Amino acid sequence: MENESNITDYYKKTAMFWSDMIAMMSSKPTTLSAVGPLRTLSSNMKKITNELTEANKEIVGFNNFLIEYYKQLADTWSVAQKDVASKVSKLSPNEEGTEAYKRIWIDIFENNFTGLFDSKKFSENYNKLISKELDLLKRWNIITDVMLKSANLPTKQEMDEIYEELHTLKNRISELESFKKNAKKNDTE
Amino acid sequence: MTQNKFDPKVIGEFLNFSRNLAEAPMKISVPHEVSIGSTQFDVAYKEDKMRLLHFKPLTTKQVRTPLLISYAIVNRYHIFDIDPKKSWIKNLLEQGFDVYLIDWGTPTKIDRFLGFHEYVNGYLDNCMDFICDEASVDKVSIQGYCTGGTLATVYSSLHPERVKNLIATAPVIDGWKDTTVVSNIAKYFDVDKLVDTVGNMPPEFIYFCFSILKPFEQGVEKYLKFLNNIDNEKYVDSFLKIEKWLDETPPIPGELFKQWIKGIYQDNLLIQNKMYVGNKRISLKNLNMPVFTQVAVGDHLVSPECSMPLHYAVSSTDKVLKLYPTGHVGMIASSFSQKTVLPELGQWLKERS
Repeated sequence: MENESNITDYYKKTAMFWSDMIAMMSSKPTTLSAVGPLRTLSSNMKKITNELTEANKEIVGFNNFLIEYYKQLADTWSVAQKDVASKVSKLSPNEEGTEAYKRIWIDIFENNFTGLFDSKKFSENYNKLISKELDLLKRWNIITDVMLKSANLPTKQEMDEIYEELHTLKNRISELESFKKNAKKNDTE
Repeated sequence: MTQNKFDPKVIGEFLNFSRNLAEAPMKISVPHEVSIGSTQFDVAYKEDKMRLLHFKPLTTKQVRTPLLISYAIVNRYHIFDIDPKKSWIKNLLEQGFDVYLIDWGTPTKIDRFLGFHEYVNGYLDNCMDFICDEASVDKVSIQGYCTGGTLATVYSSLHPERVKNLIATAPVIDGWKDTTVVSNIAKYFDVDKLVDTVGNMPPEFIYFCFSILKPFEQGVEKYLKFLNNIDNEKYVDSFLKIEKWLDETPPIPGELFKQWIKGIYQDNLLIQNKMYVGNKRISLKNLNMPVFTQVAVGDHLVSPECSMPLHYAVSSTDKVLKLYPTGHVGMIASSFSQKTVLPELGQWLKERS
């Protein structure tokens, strides 16, 4: 684990070093021929590289929880299958036997899996898995924002700010309308 | 050496099943082309994506107090009117009620900041205003189903003077007592991170919660049964309508979802009278109007232990708690609900309307 972290740190440092170097280089003699966009590109590359290296760490975490998720499902399946095998060995291979087998299979699998989904260990692992997925999504959002910004388009954060502003405005209008309505009601009374 | 002998009936059944599997696409409509909802209505009022539906009367004489149904925030309202023979709406209209229903619509990114305050003090209150004006009444009866039951309860606590009767059908009230897998997932959910990252609660998460409820009965057995019944027109029709309804769940506004998970499942504020909506504390003691709580014993989405505390928390002396031997959907859209649940509700409501 420590070794993995050292390797990630090494690659991150190397990437940061070179993207910084490129950014600095592009800001000096190359500025003469590169005008604006290329400089922005190099600075954006730095941000994107940073997010990608951080995302690598999260992918490792995500994989660990995903493995545990499938392990929990596989273990439960295996126990349920054993329970079914112990109960159906005496069933005869006729229509009634087949029906009974179906019923037993579904009931046992339902009970075992409901037991799993009801357990603390499942909920904890599942939520950690989701949390890691959201961390990855956050990184992706940041990368997208960098690209949107370079294309001179509003970023997710800026859009969220607009939505929040609109929401506040709507609430203020509602309050004013309600105030006006009450005043009118009082006047009539 | 022993030889396994198979009953020819088993082989016949297997062949029949294989034939049905191959013929199903030719015999059955595409689920998304199936139309659901049969009772006629007008869109009486509209605000943002929310619509207030007013159903056309089916009797000449109507009960004086209108009934407003606050549908859940998960899935769409169609389950109340999915099949004319099992329609909750149609039954109430036939009993002479003047029925309105709130369709919360499909929230988009711009709605992510909508919370309890906007739903209860905004949409719900504006619908109440509209109905009072249109029907020339001061009070309206409210029925809330599932999460809609929680919204109706919160509304009734904040505006008791507007509510003639409250009917809470499988309401989500006491999150800590909920024993379903939904509450187990909700307890450890990092809802802040979800909302900050994706905005609204995406339907994919809701589908996941559905899929772990009864994975083998709902995910395997149901489809086997369906394939064995593809020649049964009524069965197929009902199956496809329910499937379509299940498949059409809208996202939940991020802020509302956050308040929901934290306030109900994680901190359990509502039943402790510690929840705040629009800067006002929600006290269930404010519920002094007649209250009818409907609970399904076999509910695997909202367990009876989660809904029943409402009955004991209200200050009203005119209150009824009914437990029905059915499930979450069975309570509102089944032959059982037509024969038992609705007649009992209708009688209770008529006496108080």
